[in-house]
Amino acid sequence: MNKTIIDVQNICKTFKITKRKSGFKGSISNIFHPEYEHKKAVNDISFKIREGEMVGFIGPNGAGKSTTVKMLSGILYPDSGSINIAGYVPYKQRKEYVANIGVVFGQKSQISWDLSPLDSYEVIKHIYKIPDRKYKENIERFTELLDMQKFIKQPVRQLSLGQRMRADIAAALLHSPKIVFFDEPTIGIDVVGKEKIRSFIKTLNKTDNITMIFTTHDMQDIEKTCERLIIIDDGKKLYDGSLDSIKRNYVSSRIIEAEFEELPEKIDIDNVTVSNVDNNKMKKLITFDTNSKGINLLMSELLNNYNIKDISVKEPEIDAIIRDIYEGKIIVH
Amino acid sequence: MKDIFSLFFAYAKSGLKTRFQYKLDSVVATLAVFLREAAGIIAMYFALLKFDTINNWNINELMFLFSLIFITYGIFIVFFMALRDFSDWIKHGDIDRVMLRPRGILTQLVLCGADWLAALGHGTLGIVLFILSANNVGVEWNAETILYYIVSIASGVLIQGAVFLFFSAISIYFIETQSLKEIMYWNLRKFAGYPISIYNKFIQSLLIFVVPFAFVNYFPAQFLLRKPDMAAYPEWFMYISPFVGIILYALAYLFWKFSMRFYKSTGN
Repeated sequence: MNKTIIDVQNICKTFKITKRKSGFKGSISNIFHPEYEHKKAVNDISFKIREGEMVGFIGPNGAGKSTTVKMLSGILYPDSGSINIAGYVPYKQRKEYVANIGVVFGQKSQISWDLSPLDSYEVIKHIYKIPDRKYKENIERFTELLDMQKFIKQPVRQLSLGQRMRADIAAALLHSPKIVFFDEPTIGIDVVGKEKIRSFIKTLNKTDNITMIFTTHDMQDIEKTCERLIIIDDGKKLYDGSLDSIKRNYVSSRIIEAEFEELPEKIDIDNVTVSNVDNNKMKKLITFDTNSKGINLLMSELLNNYNIKDISVKEPEIDAIIRDIYEGKIIVH
Repeated sequence: MKDIFSLFFAYAKSGLKTRFQYKLDSVVATLAVFLREAAGIIAMYFALLKFDTINNWNINELMFLFSLIFITYGIFIVFFMALRDFSDWIKHGDIDRVMLRPRGILTQLVLCGADWLAALGHGTLGIVLFILSANNVGVEWNAETILYYIVSIASGVLIQGAVFLFFSAISIYFIETQSLKEIMYWNLRKFAGYPISIYNKFIQSLLIFVVPFAFVNYFPAQFLLRKPDMAAYPEWFMYISPFVGIILYALAYLFWKFSMRFYKSTGN
């Protein structure tokens, strides 16, 4: 087992937000008697991450993901609790600490719009004091791995979003950080572009043993890259474990898609819900709970009593599971 | 130190490269700044053909006074442009990126944000005014006066840097500070070109004690020119003038340091 590199204990962060009163009178009184609301953005979150792990951080908007990542990266102080990453306390030893991390914001490029990626890398080299040799090696390697030969000398404004994102990822890795935070790195990128980015991230995680933390809304990102998943909602940690074990342990409903040869007047089976698939009346979705209805029984009931052309059992979709978790329909612990 | 210079040059190189992506615009930008500011001076020149002096200051002395404003501002925007536009940095969340880099926050802001072309426009105008006036204002240029002049320029840059460092610290609490800057800096700067003795007491005290432009040009110029209107102010103002910049900057820096602890990054 690798050693723990990120150790977060009971962190909390509360923001003071001015309550906006409506109307002219309200806005005047806002100036003189502001009323504040305290919003607990992060409420007692703890976790440990081992060196070389790749962890997905998910949660609905406003769940506290960004605040947590900002505390981990040294931008915000936690109100209470402790953070120790690679031997540093991020918010106390900012300068020393950030030399060890890289951060990629999908929505916020760190390379200059009017310059080529290579021009921006030159500046980054000086900011991080990257030795010439290491700089050259890294540029060569990332150009190859991220397939950037074609556009590394072109102004960024002429690049596609996917190319720009790849250039941005390389920028965050030039100083060979031990830990990299990705904040929605595939947002707005087409399927092929997303695949390229995911496979690069995965390769790098394996070859360089870089610890990676990934926040995203795209469950495909998580499914394809992360072994471990941390779900945050309402400032609290809801789940911490593997994606598979969510599917195995917490989701007992399954869906059978059945296509009928001839449509029965009524599908009369206990403990299931039947719904239509788009406009095709012959196809039905039959949702059932494995705890209250055995799949064997259901299958034989279907096949014996109805005239069925085609039948398949569907895996629960991860997006739907996560939605159910956010909405409290599935309680994980 | 060597490392700071190399970072400064790396930023300067990329900044200039960015500007020269748009070659026409960069040439025009420099010229536009130069002409815009020079127009004010030319207007003053024609007015003085009629009046001869303003409060006993003749055209050469006034150009000398103005040259200090332009030269200090030209240097100011090489180092303090990021602080001048700091509320935009906060609004767009760019400070987060600065904090993620292993350098001092203020170091990065001071080194990165030069507007070289505007600096060239202001600086050139300042130097032209200085050359036109320096030998016609009765100053004997010896080691002492040259040293005083150079230190005063540095102090003048720092005074304006301190003012914007102070505004930047305020932006940490209130985010938008454009109107405050408009009133306290840009409007007062228009007054500051002329000898402050022509204004009423209120504006004079603003220029001496609140946003001390008087220490950027008026008092340093008085040390060298010794005009009679200096009698209205304590004589020691001329002697402390070279030190006002560093003192104000130190105070503004402490306030900035204190305020940065309250920085809340803007949400996504």
